Amino acid sequence: MRNIKLFIGFASLLFFLNQERSLAQKPIEVGDLAPEIVLPTPGGKMVSLSSMKGNLVLVDFWASWCAPCVQEQPELKKLYAKYHHPSQTGVNLDIYAVSLDSKKDAWERAIKKLDLPWTQVSDLKFWTSPVAKTYQLEGIPFNVLVDQKGYIIALNLHGEQLDQFLSKRVGK
Amino acid sequence: MIRRKTLSIILGFLFMALSWLTTLAQTTAEPWTDSELKPTQELADQINDSGKKKPLIINVGPQAVIPGSLDAGPGSEKDNIKKLEKILSTQDKNREVVIYCGCCPFAKCPNVRPAFKAVKEQGFTQARLLNIPKNIKTDWIDKNYPVQ
Repeated sequence: MRNIKLFIGFASLLFFLNQERSLAQKPIEVGDLAPEIVLPTPGGKMVSLSSMKGNLVLVDFWASWCAPCVQEQPELKKLYAKYHHPSQTGVNLDIYAVSLDSKKDAWERAIKKLDLPWTQVSDLKFWTSPVAKTYQLEGIPFNVLVDQKGYIIALNLHGEQLDQFLSKRVGK
Repeated sequence: MIRRKTLSIILGFLFMALSWLTTLAQTTAEPWTDSELKPTQELADQINDSGKKKPLIINVGPQAVIPGSLDAGPGSEKDNIKKLEKILSTQDKNREVVIYCGCCPFAKCPNVRPAFKAVKEQGFTQARLLNIPKNIKTDWIDKNYPVQ
């Protein structure tokens, strides 16, 4: 009888621990299917990340109030000019920029000033945006590279490293 | 031989003095002291406990996140510093004032320094900067502290 009680106790403990583990969020990793994002553009049109499937997509988390993010945009523009060729055959780069801005005018002004040609979305919720939780953002700039099928193939590559990674993938 | 030894000792001392001065310069570069950094748990307790005296909480970043906080806007803009000064102008100088931004790590934040200086210049005896060294998400929201 004592053994049965012990067994039940142990089994309950295991069950409880397992529940706890499944409740905790699994870290975002290379090889995972990129969690879906559906957010509005400055014009109010809802655009999903999955709608860009078929391209190699750089999901860029940024904000107009984030100085290093703004500084990185001209670099991204160079990479976009180099690897965004939708009319050509082979893999094409596209960018899906998610802003953590909170004020629409500041967000729009930055896009205009920096003259960014790619998809821009935001829920204007700053760090309270559910996307920041889903992608477990700890700080920005942060980016995720997603392959043509929607799987994460790289996390947080910048500058030369990002260029080198893209050169091996795009157009192939 | 002795001269060389003396020279190395002097050089050693000089190096130590220089390192000490550099450290001192780094620690005194911020407009706040360690004791002026407000622990997050302390502020959360003040917000959650209705019996506790409430400080004046002011956002000096892109968005007000903490319940009851007033929004001065990013402290990097002069107009927002004026807004902050206007908010402060009607307050008791001995009331605790807690400012926060949370956009980015303190080292990269363009807002907290001008804002904190403004609070100090207004003569507040209990000026505090909320200690969220990384950002408002990891240091506040993720810890389930109250969000408005």
